[in-house]
Formats: sequence, structure tokens, C-alpha cells
Amino acid sequence: MAFYLSFLMAALVGGMIAIASNPAPYFAAFGLVVVAGVGCGILVSYGGSFLSLILFLIYLGGMLVVFAYSAALAAEPFPEAWGDRVVFWRVMVYGLVVIVAAGFLLTGDTGLLMSVDAFKEFSVIRADVSGVAMMYSSGGKMLVICAWVLLLTLFVVLEVTRGLSYGVLRAI
Amino acid sequence: MTPTHFSLNAAFMLGLAGLTFHRVHLLSALLCLEGMMLSLFISMALWTLKTESMSLSTAPMLLLAFSACEASAGLALLVATARTHGSDHMKNLNLLQC
Repeated sequence: MAFYLSFLMAALVGGMIAIASNPAPYFAAFGLVVVAGVGCGILVSYGGSFLSLILFLIYLGGMLVVFAYSAALAAEPFPEAWGDRVVFWRVMVYGLVVIVAAGFLLTGDTGLLMSVDAFKEFSVIRADVSGVAMMYSSGGKMLVICAWVLLLTLFVVLEVTRGLSYGVLRAI
Repeated sequence: MTPTHFSLNAAFMLGLAGLTFHRVHLLSALLCLEGMMLSLFISMALWTLKTESMSLSTAPMLLLAFSACEASAGLALLVATARTHGSDHMKNLNLLQC
């Protein structure tokens, strides 16, 4: 379990290095898919099954699909690849900085590299499911604010992409 | 610092470094911003699970909704920029300044 979680965290940092030093947006989108999948594994291993499901369904299933379409929209004919010298040195610098920081900052304390699994004894329900359900009772005001923010963002997006008459940017 | 703390902090710092230094494509900047939001989501979820305070589970849910707002607004700007200037290079936004 400790080795498995250490591998997942190393894959998380490796995926973020790929995002931060991407040669083209395709590779950044694929790196983000890797990081999100590995993040689901970390959350499941620590006992957060519902939050991992939400991350997998809504984040990977919804938002990264939109990013993949936008990467297809903004595609350039001759993108850089991983073998180019600038991209190679960028990966090396990021990886070296992470390794040196790990050498200085990581102590012998391994923390909780095992399943926390809240509500351990005398409970048949999951902690994160019960906590997210509280969003509809105690956290109802925050839920209403969140729904309002999403609705406002919808109108912002429609206004920004409205074309041919006028908009925020001069669109076609 | 435990491996969990270090990997999540490193993920956030790498996303921030990619956002600040890697400014060729607008879509690359948006994806680094998404990486930052993803590391914050995992951090808040693990914080909830490790402290066993279940009422804080709503915080990563709300953060995910705000991340969706940020992603959709950024992609709307990307679509408008790509339709106006033909590509999503960040240098296009400086072309007409005095």
C-alpha cells in the first residue's frame, strides 16, 4: 500500500511536469488526463470513493473532453515534439528542481501512506458521501451561490463568443 | 514533509511554473491553470479524509464547480481569440498595442 501510493504520487508529479513543459496543447491535455486518473487512484486509496467518482465523471468526463475539442480547434500544423531541444531542457530543469526539492524537504516521516478510511469503527456509511450530502442541508446557501455563479458564467461565455454583431472581442 | 504533502505541493508549484513561464499558447496556460485546480481539489479532499471532518467534503465539490466556471470562461476567450486572430498564440494579444 505504501509503495502503491508512492508510485501514484510520483506519477502525479510526473504528469504535472509533462503539463508544465508541454511542447503542444495535446500533450498538456494528455498529461492532465494522466494526473486526473492518478488523482482518482490516490483519493480511492485514501477512502474517498465518492469524491474520486466525481473527479472521474465530471472532471475527466466533462471538462477534459471540452479541452480536447479546444485543442483540436487551436491545433497548429507543425507542433513541437518531446524530442526538441527546448522542450527536453525544460523537462530536465523541472525534473531536477523537483528531485532536489524532494531531497531537501522529504523527511523520514512517511505520514499516512495507508488507507485512512474515515468512520472506521461502528459505521457502514462513507464519510465523504455523508459530507457531500450536507451540501444540500447545512451548505444550502453555498450551493445556491454556486449555482448562481455557474449560471452567470454561462451568460459570460455566451457574450464572449457572440459574433457578427458585437462582443467583448471582435469575433467573426 | 510527508510524501503526500510534497507531491501535492510540487504539483501545484509545477502548474504555477507552467502558467508563468510557458506562455506560447493560450490553451497551454489554461491547462496549467486546470492542473493547479486539480491539485487543489485533491489537497482539499485528502485534507477532509485525513482530519475525518466530513462536513468539509463540500469544499472540493464547490471548488470543482468554480473550476468549471474558470475553464468555460477561459475556453470562451480561446474561441473568440482563435476566431479573431486565427490562432491561440499569446503574442496575438499584443499585436495592436501602442
